[in-house]
Amino acid sequence: MSATPPTRPIEFRDASLGATVAVLRETRPPLLADALHKMLGGMPDFFSGEAAILDFSEIGDPAGPIDWAGLLSLLRRFQLQPIGVRNLRADLTADARRAGLALLDGASLGATTAPTREAAAPPQPAPPPKPEPAPAPSPPTPPENISAGTMIIDRPVRSGQQIYARGGDLVLLAGMSNGAEIIADGSIHCYGPLRGRALAGAQGNAAARIISTNFGPEIVSIAGVYKTFEQGIAANVAGKPATVRLTDGGTGHKLTIDPLQLD
Amino acid sequence: MTRVVVVTSGKGGVGKTTTSAAFASGLALRGYKTAVIDFDVGLRNLDLIMGCERRVVYDFVNVINGEAKLTQALIKDKNCENLFVLPASQTRDKDALTEEGVEKVIKELEHLGYDYIVCDSPAGIERGAVMALTFADEAIITTNPEVSSVRDSDRILGILQSKSRRSAEGREPVKEHLLVTRYSPKRVEDGEMLSYKDVQELLRVPLIGVIPESESVLHASNQGTPAIHLKGTDVSEAYVDVVARFLGEERPLRFVNYERPGLMKRLFGGK
Repeated sequence: MSATPPTRPIEFRDASLGATVAVLRETRPPLLADALHKMLGGMPDFFSGEAAILDFSEIGDPAGPIDWAGLLSLLRRFQLQPIGVRNLRADLTADARRAGLALLDGASLGATTAPTREAAAPPQPAPPPKPEPAPAPSPPTPPENISAGTMIIDRPVRSGQQIYARGGDLVLLAGMSNGAEIIADGSIHCYGPLRGRALAGAQGNAAARIISTNFGPEIVSIAGVYKTFEQGIAANVAGKPATVRLTDGGTGHKLTIDPLQLD
Repeated sequence: MTRVVVVTSGKGGVGKTTTSAAFASGLALRGYKTAVIDFDVGLRNLDLIMGCERRVVYDFVNVINGEAKLTQALIKDKNCENLFVLPASQTRDKDALTEEGVEKVIKELEHLGYDYIVCDSPAGIERGAVMALTFADEAIITTNPEVSSVRDSDRILGILQSKSRRSAEGREPVKEHLLVTRYSPKRVEDGEMLSYKDVQELLRVPLIGVIPESESVLHASNQGTPAIHLKGTDVSEAYVDVVARFLGEERPLRFVNYERPGLMKRLFGGK
């Protein structure tokens, strides 16, 4: 804590920091690069320099030593700033430390993982506030538990435009065009044509939905589960009111598109 | 109040310069003092279409760089009393256009009492195109009835929303008008071309007119006469309608339905 005279050239204070937890199920950079590229598509600056904690709790058996340098530079390339690791196998922690990552296991995090941003978020929830004296160029993170509310866009979203509703829902009042991309951490509501790429539940909220009065997207995604329409869109929803949700279909998650009765 | 109107499209070859020349001439014919500026630095064409290429001494870039006075560079149109052309430089590239420079020229035209400044945008979404739309109050989005042109127009509409001064300063957004050019009612009927309704449905911008595809446009370009002056042609009348609608008049859409050639026409030929 900070009870030091102001004359010291450096002083230490306690801080809480919101960070993204990246749950890794794979550590080989090329495979991760593919997956990230697929998830983020044309949005390399999606994360805009957020601090990230690498969680290894769901890793299978790492085939060999982890390529820390490759892994870190890959994540930085996607604008994630890794600051620490947790749930890492004991024999690998020394390497992680050498790579400049803090070990954030046990007490330092355990107590603080409770407050989560989303109601239900299986894959990557819980940006935990945590004490962190380490270097991390801390990016401005929104305060925890304050909902970002709903972002409302009055004008058409045009080809080449990207809209990201961080932490909340996105409402489009004039539709969107092919070649545009909209992303929301919550649900997407589109009044008018939905024609480009629509990604809801971007931080892993599986309860998010995509709702449109005129359904015709290139790609839809909820919580990282994608659907493309190379074979066209089913006739019962194409150009009509429809909703997309994530369902548990026995073998895994899939996107279900249902017609929507408006009146 | 001077109004700045950009004629833009994203895609090349859709008829921006033809439209700029005809539209600016139309405004001048209606009595408005009008300047038309060629922003296509390095690939200047407007002077050819306006038929003033032999009178270009100083150009837009000379004025921006302070090498010539604006009044020296403005070329009086040969057809219209109230119309002046500011040609682009052929020997420079688009980096010569600076935002301050363009702003200075537009401010000065305002001081000179111009009613309308028509900015003929180059194709693409790079510097020249962005400079042309930065100061716009209104935009004429020139679009051919085919998907790639529609998508490029959509892109430029997005850029208009994000890069124009009006949006940067949070003022009322640039007023958008959709102009469908090179329209062939026969090919639409044959299902080879998007209809103007399809285009409007895709872009969701109010339609200001439909210009039919016509050989007379080529003749007009070769002669250096803006298409609006070709009396009696459908293209000329369509542009007259566009100018009237721009000035707030109601005009029914013409030249959008395919009429099968009648017997007389088939017997005696002609268009």
